[in-house]
Amino acid sequence: MKKIITLPRIIFLIIVLFTIGCKKDFLETKPLSEISQPDVWSDPTLAETFVNGIYNRLDEPLIKYSRSIYVDESQRRSQKSVLDFNNCLLTPDQIPGWTSGNADPFMLWQPLYASIRACNLFFENIKSVPDDNTLIDGKTLKDRLKGEVHFLRAWFYFNLTNLYGGVPIITKVYQLNDSFSIARNSYADCIKFIVSDCDSAAALLPLIGNGDNKGRATEGAALALKSKVLLFAASDLHNTNVFPSYANPELVGYTDNNRTARWQAAKDAAKAVIDLGQYNLYKPTPAPSDSVSLNFVNMRLSSDNQEDIFVKYYIPATIVTFQNMWLLNGPNGYHAQGNNTPIGNMVDSYEMKDGSKFDWNNPAEAASPYTNRDPRFYADILYEGAKWAQRPSDVINIDPVGIIQVGKWMTWNKTTNSEVDVWGLDTPNGPIETNNSSATGYYCRKFLDPTLKGPYETNIQPYTYRYIRYAEVLMNYAEACIGLHQEDEARTYINMIRRRAGMPDITATGADLVAEYRNERRVEFYDEDKRFFDVRRWVIGPEAYTKTTKVTVVYKLNADNTTATNPTITPQVLETRSWKDKAYFFPIDRKEINKNSKLIQNPGYD
Amino acid sequence: MNGPLENVSVIVKGDKTGVNTDNQGRYSINAPSNSTLVFSFVGFKTQNIEVSGRSNINVFMTADAKSLGEVVVVGYGTSKKATVTGSISTVSADKLQSAPSVNFSNDLIGRLPGLVATTPSGEPGNDDAVLRIRGSNTLGNNSPLVVIDGIANRNMQRLDPADVESVTVLKDASAAIYGAEAANGVILVTTKRGSIGKARISVSLNHAITKPTVLPKMADAATYAQMLNEISLYSGGSPVYSPDEIQKFKDGSEPYKYPNTNWISTVFKPSSEQDYGHLSLSGGSESLRYYISFGGNYQDGIYRNSATNYSQANFRSNIDAKISNNIKLSFDLSGRQENRNYPTISQQTIFDFAVTRALPNVVDFYGPGLPGSNFEAGDNPAVISTNKTGYDKDKRYYLQSDLKLDINIPWIKGLSLTGNAAIDKNFMNEKIWRTPWYLYTWDGTTVDDKNKPVLSKVKSGYSDPNLYQYMEDGHVTTLNALLNYQTSILDKHNIKVLLGAEKSVGDLMNFSAYRRYFLSTSLDQLFAGGDLEKDNNGTASQTARLNYFGRLNYNYLSKYMVEFLFRYDGSYIFPADKRFGFFPGVSAGWQVAKENFWKNNLSFINNFKIRASWGQTGNDRITEYQYLSSMGFGNTYIFNDDVQAKTLSELRIANPNVTWEVANQTNIGFDGEMLDGKIKVSADYFYNLRSNILAFRNASVPTSTGLTLPMENIGKVVNRGFEFQVGYGNSKGDFTYEISVNGGFAKNKIKFWDETPGVPDYQKSTGHPMNTNLYYQAIGIYKDQAAVDASPHWDGAQPGDIEFKDVNGDGKINSLDEVRDNRSNIPTFIGGFSGDFKYKNFYLSFLIQGATGAVRYDSITHSGAIGNFFQQDAEGRWTADNPNASKPRTWNGSGSYYTQQPNTYWLQSTDYVRLKNIEIGYTLPDAINSKIGIKGSRIYISGLNLITLDHLTDFDPESVSNITYPLNKVINFGLTVNL
Repeated sequence: MKKIITLPRIIFLIIVLFTIGCKKDFLETKPLSEISQPDVWSDPTLAETFVNGIYNRLDEPLIKYSRSIYVDESQRRSQKSVLDFNNCLLTPDQIPGWTSGNADPFMLWQPLYASIRACNLFFENIKSVPDDNTLIDGKTLKDRLKGEVHFLRAWFYFNLTNLYGGVPIITKVYQLNDSFSIARNSYADCIKFIVSDCDSAAALLPLIGNGDNKGRATEGAALALKSKVLLFAASDLHNTNVFPSYANPELVGYTDNNRTARWQAAKDAAKAVIDLGQYNLYKPTPAPSDSVSLNFVNMRLSSDNQEDIFVKYYIPATIVTFQNMWLLNGPNGYHAQGNNTPIGNMVDSYEMKDGSKFDWNNPAEAASPYTNRDPRFYADILYEGAKWAQRPSDVINIDPVGIIQVGKWMTWNKTTNSEVDVWGLDTPNGPIETNNSSATGYYCRKFLDPTLKGPYETNIQPYTYRYIRYAEVLMNYAEACIGLHQEDEARTYINMIRRRAGMPDITATGADLVAEYRNERRVEFYDEDKRFFDVRRWVIGPEAYTKTTKVTVVYKLNADNTTATNPTITPQVLETRSWKDKAYFFPIDRKEINKNSKLIQNPGYD
Repeated sequence: MNGPLENVSVIVKGDKTGVNTDNQGRYSINAPSNSTLVFSFVGFKTQNIEVSGRSNINVFMTADAKSLGEVVVVGYGTSKKATVTGSISTVSADKLQSAPSVNFSNDLIGRLPGLVATTPSGEPGNDDAVLRIRGSNTLGNNSPLVVIDGIANRNMQRLDPADVESVTVLKDASAAIYGAEAANGVILVTTKRGSIGKARISVSLNHAITKPTVLPKMADAATYAQMLNEISLYSGGSPVYSPDEIQKFKDGSEPYKYPNTNWISTVFKPSSEQDYGHLSLSGGSESLRYYISFGGNYQDGIYRNSATNYSQANFRSNIDAKISNNIKLSFDLSGRQENRNYPTISQQTIFDFAVTRALPNVVDFYGPGLPGSNFEAGDNPAVISTNKTGYDKDKRYYLQSDLKLDINIPWIKGLSLTGNAAIDKNFMNEKIWRTPWYLYTWDGTTVDDKNKPVLSKVKSGYSDPNLYQYMEDGHVTTLNALLNYQTSILDKHNIKVLLGAEKSVGDLMNFSAYRRYFLSTSLDQLFAGGDLEKDNNGTASQTARLNYFGRLNYNYLSKYMVEFLFRYDGSYIFPADKRFGFFPGVSAGWQVAKENFWKNNLSFINNFKIRASWGQTGNDRITEYQYLSSMGFGNTYIFNDDVQAKTLSELRIANPNVTWEVANQTNIGFDGEMLDGKIKVSADYFYNLRSNILAFRNASVPTSTGLTLPMENIGKVVNRGFEFQVGYGNSKGDFTYEISVNGGFAKNKIKFWDETPGVPDYQKSTGHPMNTNLYYQAIGIYKDQAAVDASPHWDGAQPGDIEFKDVNGDGKINSLDEVRDNRSNIPTFIGGFSGDFKYKNFYLSFLIQGATGAVRYDSITHSGAIGNFFQQDAEGRWTADNPNASKPRTWNGSGSYYTQQPNTYWLQSTDYVRLKNIEIGYTLPDAINSKIGIKGSRIYISGLNLITLDHLTDFDPESVSNITYPLNKVINFGLTVNL
């Protein structure tokens, strides 16, 4: 037999195979799940996609730990760390409740600077993106993108100055071996820089976005942001001596005496938005037959309307549990989780329908506290007896109508001759998800769609979060006018807001006008992420961080052992919050100062 | 193992003549009645038996893992144990098989000095041990390289233990032949092969009952209700429950309104089952040898009506053919299917809800099949642990093949060439079918005429049925060629040379699809899903490595030994100019016992070898492509109401200089034998200096830079320690025994890395072990307000809170009072004590294993208003009536400073000693065997983790957190039959 497999042949084959197999080229692999930077900056579509990624870093106010729980709007049940925050136990080591992972992931030094790096990276590379002169909404893609990133960078720096005061203005893109040490700029320099970014954005951006550009920054958005920035800069926090012993006052405010000019700039900036003529209040003059409350509900459930200036859209497919507002904020009697519930103090700030203050000491009002209130009350708050959504299938037998139950019925058991308490569906003692009940006796209705039937029977509710709506610009204008002592003009604009809300005009002057304005702003923007910074820039910490209240609701046992049909509603202390002035600004993390010795800490922190 | 042995050499002592046993272990020899017979066989202890006039002598051969003639597996070959110069630990098959564990990595625990192994979770399918050779050496990835039958990066965890021949651990410079992947040590596993003889069939069947080693004890409803009152009281509120209601929780008079649920007994069953079976067929002739096996196992979860279980089926076929005198061909093929079944709710969530978030004052069931609904998201733990939530079926398939050709070059004596081609394929197919489940709500008042609650049904969990499917297809091809040359000059100078080259390429791709809005749960196929929001995804990756290596062994009369080895290694992970590296190693040994001065003076020590080695290895276990600056897609952002837009963000900035870590490994040691091998001792001391450690520089780079840092070669860590093993074996009449102790100590220290400037000395990590943390020093419980006022305290501290020490004495408690604790979750000392005893047909073996030096931190997340307390925390707590308590007052979740800030109160030592395994068996006498027509059989009972001694009350010392699945205690009944 002839041998086919001979030794020399095999050896030869192995050597040949190895020579072929061992070319080193095959070590040159490419990552298959990443895109190289040069590819991104040579393709306009990818450059735009990168800018989309910067939008994705905008702060997220409507989340499990909404910003309203850190100020006198809401409470997240008995969360101790948030209470610590509300007692101002902030230190350079820790901001309790805020850094716990449930709060907004973007509202801190580190993530904001990461966002700023993304903007700077864009500016460094946009010149290499090929030009295309096609105009959309009157602008080229490159101009529009540049405008958007100017807007976004202004946004991030504005958040930084609101949290920390003056911060290092960084416009360079750091490389691995750079020197990283950098000092804080003055508050004035930061505002100047932010305003100039807003101006650049306004010049480059289309007036408004159309089609798939809706949701991107526009000229209107840039000017509205500018109005907000200048209003904040003109506010008490940065223009009065809140920290007399602080050695670096320029880091937290202005040291010149030009406050009037700042009020004027704020007024002009708000006026510039108004003068664009692009925006209007939603249903500014309700018809007599309108339900004003329903107007507000509809405005919040609309995907867009004429009041929107800068918004973020959410759709069911991309909403994660963290952002599922219906599940997070709805009452436990709907198998929802009752987070971010309004505190009594907030609820009490809704005026009576006639414009008078609500008062627990008024026996008629205390006996029936939820009648004849500001129409926005009914759109914003779920309270005892409020008719709301249909109950889920297992609860519908107990409550076929869908009435909020936050109290208890005292009933008489005739067989045992004893009193038996029956707890409402939305209480911590009721039959459903008792862990998730409100501790305040209220739930937040704002933003929630009453046609949904609970988290497991219908899809997630989509929503549009309105970062800036026109009402805010009108209020900004009014506040600047008050600062300039132009009270008539201020009242005119405040009353536009009130008229739309079905409330009588205000006529107050002087300090009363300031108080009325501030209350109006508090009610109009409840849970819209305004109050947290308003309280700070108005320097009213001591009045905002104090005792908070809840209500207890009892349907009492009558003398004849029947149960009362009307509840007795009693305000009680919920928890005690307290203020420390250092909390007007956040501390800079101790580690960050250790890494960058040029940083100076904010007042009150060591 | 327990059957007749073929080819045992039997000689008359002092005589040259001898015979071999036949395939039934029989032999016949002519010997004088006063002579001594010597029985010997490779791998077994040589025995001298006096004939004493007997005509029938039966001998029980005992395995001898450390016999001098033993051959050990080393990188790319084998070596005689006697001439090995590196630090190597081996364990043979029979030792590993006595542990009734279905995860092979768990069998290694306590068996190999220098191998630190812990099992963080006992969940079926996820119970892999974490393996560390000589502890931790680097801040990055510390996992060793696993080589199975010569092929690197194969998965060892799910090997059928019965297929394993031996496990060898290369701990020092001897690993340098594996180059850039070997710095964390190498574990070499070899599987069984056929030997010449008639076909042997071995069948092994095992059935075991398992239960958790420990489950926590939680507070009862009355206690919890009282604690809820305290929470409310402490935050200024009024009691939640009246004394009357608390009494009702206690006496159970209204079980639906005031329940007292013990969730541990509701959710977990008293015991679960585990099965393991194995069948092998082996044998062969001069020209063809074979080992063929089939195995399978099944492991149930610990929940009642558990949806959790693991099963696997595997086969192996190792064939060796001799084609001619000079050509040998081997073909190995093995395959395995692993099935992991889980509910659609994660194990963490189940444990979360079954342990800490399960409230004792909430109803579990209103009656059989009527689970209560009072849970966030409907997560009733008695339901979400079952398949009422749908299913998660995870199937993985492995197919591994290796074709090996051995050629003796006939023209040059001692020269041979070996070629290997191995192709490994793996597939994964996961199907997650999520369906809503149903719970029952009671309004708290309405009852029927039998006084039973009237319930209504509620849909929970998912709003609609949805299906997610995931497929993965991976492949690795390894080709290598080895040139071996072996010669001996004048029978004194023994030389061995190895030269080799190896190439490996791999790729992986995956693909997934998702649909929701299924109209019904009756059809769980993608096509039946709705078209809205359907989704799909996929990605891929690739790997490539090329290397050259060689080894030179020289010894003079097997007395003086020296070894050089090198590897020139290239990896796709690094940039082109940093891709190749050279890794050398050198070691030497001296068989002192062969010297005359030793023989004359210390003859009772038969064998004494001193070894020393030095070498360099690398660690390339980092995320690849750190040298590229690239971007990746992130979440979608929505424009125009509902238009989903892709987003891009920077993944990292490039580090063009990134390269492997370098390990400088130094080792000295000795191996000794005394009293004719009855006592064996070996010990090693090592000093590893790891430099160029890849770490992020984020401790010193301010976050204002916004940089996402790449890894940089900046760290330097020293790891040093020792290992020892002492064994003693002897026999007396029918009684033979062997005991062995091993232990390993390793302690590392960071010499240099990126440290935040300005931190005080007591917080610095440099100069201390890796992966340690800072803790506030808990020094007691504030007795009363006066005690709070009298000391520096945390802002807002109240009586009953934990007191932190003002370490720097500045009168304030802040992060400057945190102190570094030098312990981590990896033990510094790990040891084992094993014994094997045989008396006639009975045998007993055990392994006691322990570890010290590690800690675990029990972070408290839920105990409070939303979760129950451990009974021990409830019982010893501070109250106004119990001011001298050693445990803090009732807290509420992670909100309190001492439940949020890391502090020593929650830091616990996990030192433990446990009876890791024990086996008692009986080998059936031959008389019975032959009557039922089999060659041999044995029955045995074995146990795993039966007794544990530690400081912990509610958790297993090896489990990492209080919401992980505990380790299992196993009692196994087994039977092995040889046909």
